[in-house]
Amino acid sequence: MKATIPRQHGKLILQLAVIALLALFPIIGVPRAWTLYLFLFFSYLAMANMWNLLAGYSGLICLCPAAFIGLAGYTLTIMTWLGVPYYFGIAYGGIAAALFAILISIPVFRLRGIYFAIGTLVVPEILRFVFLLWKPVGGDTFGRGAGYSVKGLDGVSESHLYWYALAVGIVSIFLMRYILRSKLGRGLAAIRDNDDTAASCGINVFNLKLYSFVIAALLTGIAGAILYIYHGYIEPASAFSISWLVTIILATVLGGEGTEEGPIVGTVIVVFLHFLLARYAEISLIIQGIILIGIMLLAPRGIMGFVRNTKTYQSLLELVARPAS
Amino acid sequence: MTLLADLSTPIVMGILLGGLYAVIALGLSLVFGVVKEMNIAHGDLVILGSYLAYTIMTSFGVDPILSLIIGMPLFFGLGFVIQKYLLNRAFKISMDATLIIAFGISIILQNTYQLIWTPMSRGLTTSYALKSFSAGPFFFPFVYLLNFVVAIAVMICLREFLRRTYLGVAIRSAAQDMKAAHLMGINTNRVFAYTFAIGMVLAAVAGVLLGLTFPFTPTSGLPFLIIALGVVVLGGLGSIAGTLIGGIAFGLAQTLGGHFFGVAAQMLVAYTMVLVVLAVIPRGIFGR
Repeated sequence: MKATIPRQHGKLILQLAVIALLALFPIIGVPRAWTLYLFLFFSYLAMANMWNLLAGYSGLICLCPAAFIGLAGYTLTIMTWLGVPYYFGIAYGGIAAALFAILISIPVFRLRGIYFAIGTLVVPEILRFVFLLWKPVGGDTFGRGAGYSVKGLDGVSESHLYWYALAVGIVSIFLMRYILRSKLGRGLAAIRDNDDTAASCGINVFNLKLYSFVIAALLTGIAGAILYIYHGYIEPASAFSISWLVTIILATVLGGEGTEEGPIVGTVIVVFLHFLLARYAEISLIIQGIILIGIMLLAPRGIMGFVRNTKTYQSLLELVARPAS
Repeated sequence: MTLLADLSTPIVMGILLGGLYAVIALGLSLVFGVVKEMNIAHGDLVILGSYLAYTIMTSFGVDPILSLIIGMPLFFGLGFVIQKYLLNRAFKISMDATLIIAFGISIILQNTYQLIWTPMSRGLTTSYALKSFSAGPFFFPFVYLLNFVVAIAVMICLREFLRRTYLGVAIRSAAQDMKAAHLMGINTNRVFAYTFAIGMVLAAVAGVLLGLTFPFTPTSGLPFLIIALGVVVLGGLGSIAGTLIGGIAFGLAQTLGGHFFGVAAQMLVAYTMVLVVLAVIPRGIFGR
């Protein structure tokens, strides 16, 4: 799989204006349904971007984002029970996920390709059992498999949550852009295409994989913690559930794995589906599964991969490129 | 001496349980070894076998083991179709594609079970499911012995099939070198479809044994998939004897884990062992 990285033609000022406008949304009285949609969009976007970094650009098919999300959610919850403000809780959640990524990198990074996927598949299940058995806080009345509610959320409004999600979503976009154009990104692409060749060219395969894994864990964890402030309640079965993986894979694959815009396009559709399928909750997994199989068979590089190959897009690119040159 | 007496029950139970895990892992190992794709829907397909036997048992009163007469051909056909129309195509796209499509199949199946059989826990409760046999001063469930005997029988059948029939030889050659097999005039796509179909027949058998041994829910596929993956990795790809040893190791891990750390933690012990095995001996005991 080859991924070309087109040059960014968009002007930075325009992008900043769009971000500023998005940030103003809750203040200028945009309907609540819109901000809720955007809140979920930016949270999931960060997760999908990070999954794309691993699967699309580093060749690491990571089946354990639920571990990072659940762990960050639990860290946040435990911290708020201990009286730490929730915004520090979010940060600690991300750090806990990143530290955990370093810990599990010891066993799983010995594995390549499909074995790596197996190794990461086990991790959320282990954590689910740990949190079913372990009572972190709350004494006899609370915990042990039962859920915890997130404390200390008195001053938090929906606007705050929206801004946090916006921040992490935007950071994930710019981080992807930065990483892919840095030495790290090029090294990762070399590892994905052939890790033996990459190693013989002097690339430290283990370290580069570890960097991208830890970055992905950090941001996925932060986005997960923000979502758990919105939910306000955490319990092991849903925290380490396979449904996180379904959403994240669907968003990335639908938009286009290994394309930079893919997760953005995919997440727009997935969050839309999320609202649409709320009415048909009993068959939502069937529908998502069919979409996943269909897109993989018909357009393996997703919507963006498909669009990029069309003539209209090619000529549009040329049109944009001409005045710049 | 008392420690040994204490431990003898979990040890015998673990070894016998290993038979069940070996049968579950056998289908996965065959597909993994030959087609080189990891079928992460395997656990859910095993559970489909359990549900099929459950439905046949409750609606027609047929014994679960006898229901395999219908179940095995049905699973053979289903496996052939899945491999031929979905996974063979995905195989040409990329390694990720097969994994993601198998994942899609897995979530579709889980949702379907919830629709048809509700999220309630089910079990194949037959007249002999609760019987036990005695060995010295201890009693063991009859079903556990059945697991082990069936596992040995299934393994001998598979081994002889792979050795003596034309299809078996074709499957082995495709596993060794797909391109060379193709050049020797073997239709590798069809061989892959047959391999997956045979893997599914093994899943049907495993499903019935699982249903007799444990209660199951629509989401039971994942725990058994993880154990089966551990068994496959520990035993080494393409080794039937290794699969049995891997199965026994995980059976023991579960029963001894339950003995020492309590029943609630027994799966945690087995899962942790999967990670340890992957980290320490990723090629397995009998791996090539």
